[in-house]
Amino acid sequence: MLNNNDNWRTWRKSEMLDSLLAFGGLVLLRDSVEWEGRSLLKALIKKSALCREQVHILGCEVSKEEFHEGFTSDINNCLVYHDLFRDPLNEKMGRPFLGGPLGALTAMCRRTDPGPVTIALDSLSWLLPHLPCTTLHQNLHALSHQNSSPGGSSSVQQVCVLGLLHEELHGPGPLGALSSLAQTEVIVGGTVGQASAYILCRRPQQRPTHQTNWFSILPDFSLDVQEGPPVESQPHPDPHTSLVDPMTHLTFNLRLSKKEREAKDSLTLPFQFSSEKQQALLCPGQGQATSHIFYEPDAYDEDQEDPDDDLDI
Amino acid sequence: MAAEATCGAGAGSTGSLAAAVGMSNVTSFQRRGPRVGGADSGGPRLMSIAGTRPSVRNGQLLVSTGLPALDQLLGGGLAVGTVLLIEEDKYNTYSPLLFKYFLAEGIINGHTVLVASAKEDPAVILQELPAPLLDDSRKQELDEDIYNHKTPESNSKMKIAWRYQLLPKMEAGPVSSSRFGHYYDASKRIPQELIEASKWHGFFLPEKISSTLKEEPGSLTPGYIKLLQFIQNIIYEEGFDGSNPQKKQKNILRIGIQSLGSPLWGDDIFCTENCDNSHSLTKFLYILRGLLRTSLSVCIITMPTHLTQNKAVIARVTNLSDTVVGLESFIGSERETNPLYKDYHGLIHIRQIPRLNNLICDESDVKDLAFKLKRKLFTIEVRDFYVSYIKG
Repeated sequence: MLNNNDNWRTWRKSEMLDSLLAFGGLVLLRDSVEWEGRSLLKALIKKSALCREQVHILGCEVSKEEFHEGFTSDINNCLVYHDLFRDPLNEKMGRPFLGGPLGALTAMCRRTDPGPVTIALDSLSWLLPHLPCTTLHQNLHALSHQNSSPGGSSSVQQVCVLGLLHEELHGPGPLGALSSLAQTEVIVGGTVGQASAYILCRRPQQRPTHQTNWFSILPDFSLDVQEGPPVESQPHPDPHTSLVDPMTHLTFNLRLSKKEREAKDSLTLPFQFSSEKQQALLCPGQGQATSHIFYEPDAYDEDQEDPDDDLDI
Repeated sequence: MAAEATCGAGAGSTGSLAAAVGMSNVTSFQRRGPRVGGADSGGPRLMSIAGTRPSVRNGQLLVSTGLPALDQLLGGGLAVGTVLLIEEDKYNTYSPLLFKYFLAEGIINGHTVLVASAKEDPAVILQELPAPLLDDSRKQELDEDIYNHKTPESNSKMKIAWRYQLLPKMEAGPVSSSRFGHYYDASKRIPQELIEASKWHGFFLPEKISSTLKEEPGSLTPGYIKLLQFIQNIIYEEGFDGSNPQKKQKNILRIGIQSLGSPLWGDDIFCTENCDNSHSLTKFLYILRGLLRTSLSVCIITMPTHLTQNKAVIARVTNLSDTVVGLESFIGSERETNPLYKDYHGLIHIRQIPRLNNLICDESDVKDLAFKLKRKLFTIEVRDFYVSYIKG
């Protein structure tokens, strides 16, 4: 039993990270103040480094030492770190301001090394105010679509761009625009004590799929997938998903009882001409109460004058 | 003979035209409209272009959007010289479909197609167009689903609405290129030979903009300027505006612009709250409409309007377009699990229909429309959830 559980969890654990990295393109990691996403980013980086992929990191928000904390040395040796935290204007290279983060990104765009590569942007929230929004989008799009090989060459570059984005720093416009650019979106959230990742996958030509995984990050930045939050703190059910019964406030009757249905079926409609009806119409007063017309002439109708007297014929 | 063929198709389908136009008043009257382009009538001649037909209301030249259901809702089709704006759904799942149906209709009818995109290569977009449905398979598809919302079920003998039994069923004629609207199989790709036989132009923004041009404030973004110049060149060189008198055979130019206004086009109107150049998009639409009105072209634009909360921008964009259709999909919303909406994939809103040479427009009475993407077909129906609830 324990063995089965472990196997299942190992499978689930590797499946979650693999599925995030396998498709490529832009993976947007959205986190918030309560649930930080940098550890998930580092878990993904560790996974890619273990698979012998090339990993480039654009570090803007935390220092290089802080970022490398928790990684073993062989993983650290696989990472190519572009430090913008210490040198945001990229003065060491002597490039002007706009060439700083932009230059780094476009340099990564123009690489020609074959093989799968992972690029981690820590974080997009830092880049958004520093770059024109449109330039960032265009560069991200060019970065994440490098696997369309130009000129029909046989080598397929699988590029995966991991972008960390802090939700609270941006309005719905920029957030929505980046979401529409991303192939996979991971929203880190959770309930008491348990982090969850809501993963939304957009594949071309297909409907987007979504799933929620409960996970926790171990100190060595490997991922542990849980089954769900602890029982005591079940999230309260979403009121929208309660079954809506549209029959509650109807003014007409949609369900008929058996007797009513029989009565309805046996009813003769006015335009259906049957022989009984014909008889009834032709011979009125066959014992049925036929209708009588009661007429009482009004007082002023008793006019003795003949209107035709006025005619001069 | 091509003129006669199109004329024949036009006259033969007036019966279905009458049924199509008067959606709410279903009659068995066959309306005999004036025969257009009739070679034997000797009346006023109209050069009939493949894939177009005159509107029964005001004689405006119409083309099909690629979805006969949408054609009906827009009053017969899309008028030549106008812009159809599709407001994309949130995850951009269904608006590319409408975009592709429009282009596929152009390829089938032999129109010249111009595809502009900042995200995907136009050649790739054209490869992914849906294949046209052939006659037999289309009959099967139509029998399966409820095509017209007012068509009662014919398998049960009608007791109360007995007069409707005399109505003819929806016609299922042969699919030839002289037909106005075609059906497409969304699960299959268009045959390669059709694309190669067609004339198309592609505009892929990353290829056209290589250097960062200096952008002047108050003017259009460089991407838009390039696109407008490209369209203008095509219209002029290929004679869609009548400038090339040697061309006898007139044709329609179908322009498709994908995700206009998104940041990939270099326009930040949808991704920033207070953008500097907020008039670039509106200027583009204004100039584009001027180009379209003076040429035989139709344009479809998809726009991610869901990204902005700014109602002023949406209102301006709507005013500058002619026909506006909004798509709202249920993916990710609470309606996905709601049993009332389980039959449908989303709602379709007809936001605006143009008044062209008219005081009124051809607005349909039905406002509550939903769409569903089946395995092959994209259907639009009146949202009728009580019926579906009874059926269980």
